[in-house]
Amino acid sequence: MIKNIIWFTLLSILLISPFMGAVTLTLSDILDSNSFSSTIFFELRIPRVLFAFFAGVILALSGLLFQTIFRNALMTPYTLGISSGAVLGAGIAIKLGLGTLVFGISAISIFGFMGAMFTVILLIYLSQFLKGSQQQALLLLGIALSLFYSSALMIIFYIGSPMQNDMLIRFTMGSLSVIGWEHPLSLGVISFILFGAIYIYRFELQLLNLSESQASLKGVDTKKITLVLLIISSFAIGTLVSISGPIGFIGLIVPHIVAKLYPVTVNKRIVKTAIFGGFFLVLCDTITRTLQTQSELPIGIVTAFIGAPFFIYLIISRR
Amino acid sequence: MINIKTLTQTYKKKQILKNITLKIKTHLTILGANGSGKSTLAKAICGLIDYKGEIFLDTTNIKELSLIERAKSISYIPAKLEVYDPYISVEEFVLLGRFAHKENFLDYSQKDRDITKQTLEFLKISYLKEHTINSLSSGEQQLTLIAQALTQQSKIIIFDEPTANLDPRNSKIIAQHIKGLKEFHQIILITHDLHLAHYIENYIVFIKDKNAHYFEDNFFTDENLEKLYGVKFNSLAVVYD
Repeated sequence: MIKNIIWFTLLSILLISPFMGAVTLTLSDILDSNSFSSTIFFELRIPRVLFAFFAGVILALSGLLFQTIFRNALMTPYTLGISSGAVLGAGIAIKLGLGTLVFGISAISIFGFMGAMFTVILLIYLSQFLKGSQQQALLLLGIALSLFYSSALMIIFYIGSPMQNDMLIRFTMGSLSVIGWEHPLSLGVISFILFGAIYIYRFELQLLNLSESQASLKGVDTKKITLVLLIISSFAIGTLVSISGPIGFIGLIVPHIVAKLYPVTVNKRIVKTAIFGGFFLVLCDTITRTLQTQSELPIGIVTAFIGAPFFIYLIISRR
Repeated sequence: MINIKTLTQTYKKKQILKNITLKIKTHLTILGANGSGKSTLAKAICGLIDYKGEIFLDTTNIKELSLIERAKSISYIPAKLEVYDPYISVEEFVLLGRFAHKENFLDYSQKDRDITKQTLEFLKISYLKEHTINSLSSGEQQLTLIAQALTQQSKIIIFDEPTANLDPRNSKIIAQHIKGLKEFHQIILITHDLHLAHYIENYIVFIKDKNAHYFEDNFFTDENLEKLYGVKFNSLAVVYD
């Protein structure tokens, strides 16, 4: 019953979300195809809601994936420094003024993707030196990398021009504001690829979520599958972060809530986690757009305000 | 048949096993003091750790087997069942033994589920099927692990100290199951439990000073045990049958 209410509420928010914001729209406004309202609705609001939804899917699925593979509820691309890597990559592209397109893809995206990839490969490389309580140490490595990236970003700020810095600051706060259909559609394709990869390997993931040796003894090529899924996930995260900036803690909160609502083994939670992630980020985004402030609140700040206390709660309440 | 040739294992610069050569043609019990390398030997056979030397399954080097093929031939039962997933049920866990047999990317078949159901009934643990793995007692854990190994339908089953965490009563139940499995599987038993080893009646390999010593009989005499373990024995006390 409670579950149905939660899903119904989230779905309702998804449906009314495009009408909410600095300008509240009504159904009759948008039906007039020549009106300004109609343009806002179809070129700004709907793309934005879709973008938020797919971003939520990618963040939640990546969180679930990392937590399953590393068997630790605190593991997400965000807490492991992969998002920070993407931010630094994008920051370098902004600083170098590489806003122009390379083969139709913006340089910021490519650099962001490379930052995420570099971090994942570095983490995989470093993790082979870890023994025993591997997961905890991996988390510390992620934190160390995040700190390093922040310092590197500070250097870029220090030598950057005021205009570049303004762009960078806004970027690091995270934003789901998009114009037109290009970004939502490309993110939709990427979230579908990520979902497909995770779904294809759902039984391997179920075994990996028991223990590394259990998975290996039952016939799972753990190294190969870990590598394939982490690379696909980093590709998705890298692309997302290079468009939206970092959006923290969704990957931490959503898989946890879904697991509490549905205490079943991991392969039965993949679809629900993906959809819930999408709904949840749309909800957060709707909050930022409807709070009556001078301009809308950056989404990264909102999710961090909810997420950081939740992170602390997870650390304290861990079994 | 498992054919081990010049197996050497080093952990943190300390040599655990040195040039072990061993042909395992039938059921075998591996004994040895703490830290003698018994589990290391088992883990090497299962491919859980790296090693120097060669291990053949019949005529194939096991390093050349895919993990799926290896899982179809060998299953390994650890002393303790430790899983991260807090929600997985006994039935779902036992079904995972069918992973190597199921079609790639597809769900487990009805046949896989039937085998799981029959195995749970055979081991008389059907009443546990909805329970989560982490809520089981040590005895129930061992039975669940045996069930999983049985659904895996491998010829060889390796038990790594199956009674290490069990009270005498549960030890006896597990011991009886292991003995029963000898009819259809090749059992490799690693243990400290001399009563269990005595009851199972396998040939025995004793690992001492990084070397394997082979015994077909006359192992369980007080004199022999004293020589191997370096403590006095006065016949084994508990009787399982």
